[in-house]
Amino acid sequence: MDELRHAHMFRARGREILAALPQAADEGAAFQAHAFAPGERGLDDLVVEAESDDSLLAFLHLSEKAAAQRFAMYREVLGFDEATQGVFTQILRDEAFHMNYTYAQLRRVSPKKHGLALWWARLGRLWKGYLRLASAIANVMSTVILTAQYFLVLPLFALFAKAAARRLPRGWTPARSASPLGSQY
Amino acid sequence: MKILGISAHYHDSAAALVVDGLPVAAVQEERLSRKKNDAAFPLEAIEWCLRAGNVTPEELDWVVFYEKPMLKFERIVTTILREFPASWRAFPKAMKNTLGEKLWIKGVITSHLGVPGSKILFTEHHQSHAAMAFLTAPTRRAAIMTADGVGEWATLSVGRGEVKDDGTTTIEVLREVRFPHSLGMLYSTFTAFLGFEVNEGEYKVMGLASYGSPRFVDDVRKVIARTDDGAFALDMRYFDYHKTSERSFSAAFVDLFGPPRKPHSPLDPTTESGRRYADIAASAQRVLEDTLVDLAKDLRRETGLADLCFGGGVALNGCANARILRESGFERLFVPSAPGDAGCALGAALFVDRVHLGRKHREIPHHPYWGPVVEPGELSRVAAEDGMPCETLSTDDAALDRVVDALAAGKIVGWMDGAAELGPRALGNRSILAAPHTAAMRDRLNKEIKYREEFRPFAPAVPIEVADEYFDLPPGGAPLGAFMSGVFPVREKWRDRLAAVTHVDGTARVQTVERDKAPRFYELLKRYGRRTGIPVLLNTSFNLAGEPIVTRAVEGYTTFRRCGIDVLAVGRHIVTKPAPGTKNAVEEQ
Repeated sequence: MDELRHAHMFRARGREILAALPQAADEGAAFQAHAFAPGERGLDDLVVEAESDDSLLAFLHLSEKAAAQRFAMYREVLGFDEATQGVFTQILRDEAFHMNYTYAQLRRVSPKKHGLALWWARLGRLWKGYLRLASAIANVMSTVILTAQYFLVLPLFALFAKAAARRLPRGWTPARSASPLGSQY
Repeated sequence: MKILGISAHYHDSAAALVVDGLPVAAVQEERLSRKKNDAAFPLEAIEWCLRAGNVTPEELDWVVFYEKPMLKFERIVTTILREFPASWRAFPKAMKNTLGEKLWIKGVITSHLGVPGSKILFTEHHQSHAAMAFLTAPTRRAAIMTADGVGEWATLSVGRGEVKDDGTTTIEVLREVRFPHSLGMLYSTFTAFLGFEVNEGEYKVMGLASYGSPRFVDDVRKVIARTDDGAFALDMRYFDYHKTSERSFSAAFVDLFGPPRKPHSPLDPTTESGRRYADIAASAQRVLEDTLVDLAKDLRRETGLADLCFGGGVALNGCANARILRESGFERLFVPSAPGDAGCALGAALFVDRVHLGRKHREIPHHPYWGPVVEPGELSRVAAEDGMPCETLSTDDAALDRVVDALAAGKIVGWMDGAAELGPRALGNRSILAAPHTAAMRDRLNKEIKYREEFRPFAPAVPIEVADEYFDLPPGGAPLGAFMSGVFPVREKWRDRLAAVTHVDGTARVQTVERDKAPRFYELLKRYGRRTGIPVLLNTSFNLAGEPIVTRAVEGYTTFRRCGIDVLAVGRHIVTKPAPGTKNAVEEQ
């Protein structure tokens, strides 16, 4: 429920900010640090059913804590924008509650080994952070190599392809003759 | 004979299992992974299909992938070469995107399922669409048309299918239009231009079109011209989708139609700028419809057949479908419940069974309910854990009456019953239902539950035998409405009393419900009709914005708890939300 409410708050404030921006500002928003942000690439997927109660609660506690720290930082640097700062202040209150609640539940579920569970969860976050960084570096390297290949290897083939394209008919094309179903061509 | 069909890696991946010529299970990956439009390899969907069919991977005779990956790769590389050097940004992305997993699908299937490579087959993308459209339709001879964004090379194809007297089946593709000329890409380009998400916001363009007048038709015809042979060709100066993955329209497109709408900015068709976007949407819609009607007319003349089976993502355009039915000369039009890529999983499996292996035709039940069956008892358990009282009615009659009471009292009901639908529409088994009589209900649904734009219409469901009383259905319209595939006028005298489902132009995307396909839903409509005098309910998909339609009772319950749905009914189990301000047992603790 809280997360849904936060999403509404972010969306509403985001719309207000977007509405105030000039049209061209959209193009400047092309840079998004997706490669460094957690989630959405399969590296951070959490299979809830596969986790024990204490490891799941440790994971949630650290995630809430990280979110609370991040939101606290955003709130600090948004002194020039009171409206957005207000959004973060409200959300930070919830995140702090989630952080404390998950910690209390972790202590309840695992009174003796909650510290160990937290350290395992921290190591897991460190490993996933490494994977994110490595994947971002690999992404940059592959882009550079492929772009170089594009300009070094492809020009001659591009000439042939462009010449062939000029001979293509417009409109209907006869259906290509059926290839065997075992073939990937 | 056990055949597993798989579609994946573009949008909306899915799996389907066909045993001895009949589908036994089919589901989209998103319904299980809970990621909207999940395009990943559909491992969960495959596992569920095999479980549902009680089949192990070793027992599979064939596994069919819905398109030919190498042929698709050829198209991608050729397009990049043709657009050199403008395609330099697209090249690294395309290579990384394709070479990572998509090109090695045979190995992926082998490693996940453990089946030998010799058992893996590949149909062509539009073959799969055609097979889904024709082989699941209640017809034995029909013309076939498929249209989408792009498959391998084809973007639109026409042909015919026949089930012969000896039970053998043929599907013949006569000709095709090839990439980059594509009706699907044309519509998606307007979708992006109007600030909506491509492959998701096309419904919004169609809904918005009703608010506008097609005053930009001549401009749209500049970007898509008809060719002498009766097909069409896009003027690629107006498009960028063949050069880059970052935008679909070019600067020339913006020069022609003006500045694009910013995503997320409010869109009010009553304002001047909103009206302009609505007019552009109406113009794009008109040209799409005109083109499809002309293509269908030619196909009707050429084949002389009475039935048309229409597949591909473009077939989700209900307004265009209604015009095809009215104007093309075909007597019946069949659009499957999942005409898009998800349905290709089933289409590919059926193609192998009927056409490739030449096995005898078997009549396929004409319904969309091939997904996981909801477990009513799960609702009681989850509600109890959450401290919400869950009533279990003693008989089905009592449960139906309780739901009718709630609907008649203006409550919004989350309704889950039986097997989930295959395809993007909730057709009475995973639906949010409400009384369709007032515009206030529509506004409430938009604001409290669906969190979506006000210009988007809601659909009505009505028993098929009385559909014509409330809606102006052309001959063949009622069967087209079985899967909500056509948009038809609401009869003038009912528009005031069906205000929540009557769009601004007086139309509605009608679902005609048959007793033998959805008996409980049908019975609910009949009982509601007896109570209120109008056997029509508002039926919208059971999900929140940005989420897939619910599958299991627990998902229905969490959705129910997060939005303004008043009552949740799963079989004979019913949970009613307490009045505002009342806490449930868990919250009180």
